[in-house]
Amino acid sequence: MGIKGLTKLLADNAPKCMKEQKFESYFGRKIAIDASMSIYQFLIVVGRTGTEMLTNESGEVTSHLQGLFNRTIRLLEAGLKPVYVFDGKPPDLKKQELAKRYSKREDATEDLAAAIETGDKDDIEKFSKRTVKVTKQHNDDCKKLLRLMGVPVVEAPSEAEAECAALCKNQKVYAVASEDMDSLTFGAPKFLRHLMDPASRKIPVMEFDVLKILEELNLTMDQFIDLCILSGCDYCESIRGIGGQTALKLIRQHGSIEGIIENINKERYQIPESWPYEEARRLFKEPLVTANDQQPELKWSPPDEEGLVAFLVTENGFNSDRVTKAVEKIKAAKNKSSQGRLESFFKPVASDSVPLKRKDAPAKATKETAKKRNTGGSKLRWSTPFWQLVQYWLL
Amino acid sequence: MLELRLVQGSLLKKVMESLKDLVNDANFDCSATGFSLQAMDSSHVALVALLLRSEGFEHYRCDRNISMGMKLENLTKILKCAGNDDIITIKGDDGGDTVTFMFESPSQDKIADFEMKLMDIDSEHLGIPDAEYQAIVRMPSAEFARICKDLSSIGDTVVISVTKEGVKFSTKGDIGTANIVCRQNTTVDKPEEATVIEMQEPVSLTFALRYMNSFTKATPLSNTVTISLSSELPVVVEYKIAEMGYIRFYLAPKIEEDEDDTKPQV
Repeated sequence: MGIKGLTKLLADNAPKCMKEQKFESYFGRKIAIDASMSIYQFLIVVGRTGTEMLTNESGEVTSHLQGLFNRTIRLLEAGLKPVYVFDGKPPDLKKQELAKRYSKREDATEDLAAAIETGDKDDIEKFSKRTVKVTKQHNDDCKKLLRLMGVPVVEAPSEAEAECAALCKNQKVYAVASEDMDSLTFGAPKFLRHLMDPASRKIPVMEFDVLKILEELNLTMDQFIDLCILSGCDYCESIRGIGGQTALKLIRQHGSIEGIIENINKERYQIPESWPYEEARRLFKEPLVTANDQQPELKWSPPDEEGLVAFLVTENGFNSDRVTKAVEKIKAAKNKSSQGRLESFFKPVASDSVPLKRKDAPAKATKETAKKRNTGGSKLRWSTPFWQLVQYWLL
Repeated sequence: MLELRLVQGSLLKKVMESLKDLVNDANFDCSATGFSLQAMDSSHVALVALLLRSEGFEHYRCDRNISMGMKLENLTKILKCAGNDDIITIKGDDGGDTVTFMFESPSQDKIADFEMKLMDIDSEHLGIPDAEYQAIVRMPSAEFARICKDLSSIGDTVVISVTKEGVKFSTKGDIGTANIVCRQNTTVDKPEEATVIEMQEPVSLTFALRYMNSFTKATPLSNTVTISLSSELPVVVEYKIAEMGYIRFYLAPKIEEDEDDTKPQV
């Protein structure tokens, strides 16, 4: 999942492409969210102790519903208009990666059994998290919940990330929110990280702008995709010994992967034998997505109160008071999204003033910001235990 | 080279007090005509435009158009160190990355120098077209501040409607509703106590009170406030600054939802 080390690479080399924003400032904005990733997160964290998970009376897991319900309400309350995009069929190239994850999960299942036998609590917790799998039932539950809440659901023909990016390119939504840096490689013009972090974490939303990335790195979109493939993506291996920083240098030097293959020292860097980088590039550049005119109109409607109570309280054992209160919150939230923005009235113009400062100290300034962003943003976050775990499991 | 000497230093202090809640950091632009600033709040709902014309300064030297990025919190800290009667001089050198504030006491027996580091600030400059407003209301600024404060204890939004009768501010919240009407009133002893309404056509707009309350922080700058409204435009709340310029706040209105969003409840 994602591109290895891209956040750090961007923080070091294109600090201006990322901006910290307040969560609240996205009121009224339409935001596309990769649902599968979210559901997976919920299954791991929400209401879990050891192998026990949040379940309803008949023993079916409800962690994903609880998580999705609360998160969506938080977004709606802030006046955002979320759209959830669900994965379709994975592309052939990703199957390899998926098979790897599958076998890891098998291993974890065995380890879990062993851990239960020995009764090691930490191990049980660790391995049971790793056996989590998002099933079709989970997805269907979530779709049903979202529809009842009046939130639009989009089913992607293939990768949800790609579909999100397409929605954003066609200006159906303002931005894509995900923790997966793939979205940038798919060319989502605006990409938000940490939008869906719990409010208690107090991490500002990080907004990435693809055009600014290209401008700052001085690359074309095609070169940027090549850079991501070289850094390491979901679709194919990368060359041993080439990480993000080297990849950036090489792309700048040789222009494309083909150019690099021709020119690099073959003894120092071993190019994988079967390396479908062209195929991977095609998947990023022309992924299977719904065509612009085929994309359905996105509509946010009032919540179906009776439906929600029936589904959550009767079928899944949610607390009835909490559901009713939540419905009230959704209704009250409608008012928030009506605030206008100045940009819809006044257009940006170029300023003719020369900055007093920037003239002689540009290098220093950029470095400072890069450093600040770096420590404040990605590092902190990835070092939290949960993310270490996810990282371990995904990579 | 930049050197601006402002005898009425308290003006600058008041200006900063009115800005700092709305904007975190901003570029101050200096040109031959004056000292100006344009900045938006972080959610891009409100904009503040400040102008202090060069004529208002005792001494004004600005060789070329420059902009200085400052964190308003830091600037406020420094300006708090200036006495109310102090003369403030702002100095900057070409190519330097600091700006110097010099505070002189009126009797010239104390001189303080504060040097502040400048920042790189990426800010979009918005073009604000000259517009004919459908209604312009001029009223005592303290009155306006009072109304905003009172209404915000009832609700979150204010509907400002201007008709021939006068200007009405209304809100509603969980505990009830509130309406305050100010009629045109030009028969007062002091001109600054008058309420004057110039209206081309009736207009009614809805705004978030949170921002209005933040604008009224500029009340100490002027006895009167001018509110300009048009149904197609953000409201302008303007405070004149002692013959030398103005501070204008623009606020985007709340808009009715799209039709497809207002389906009847299921």
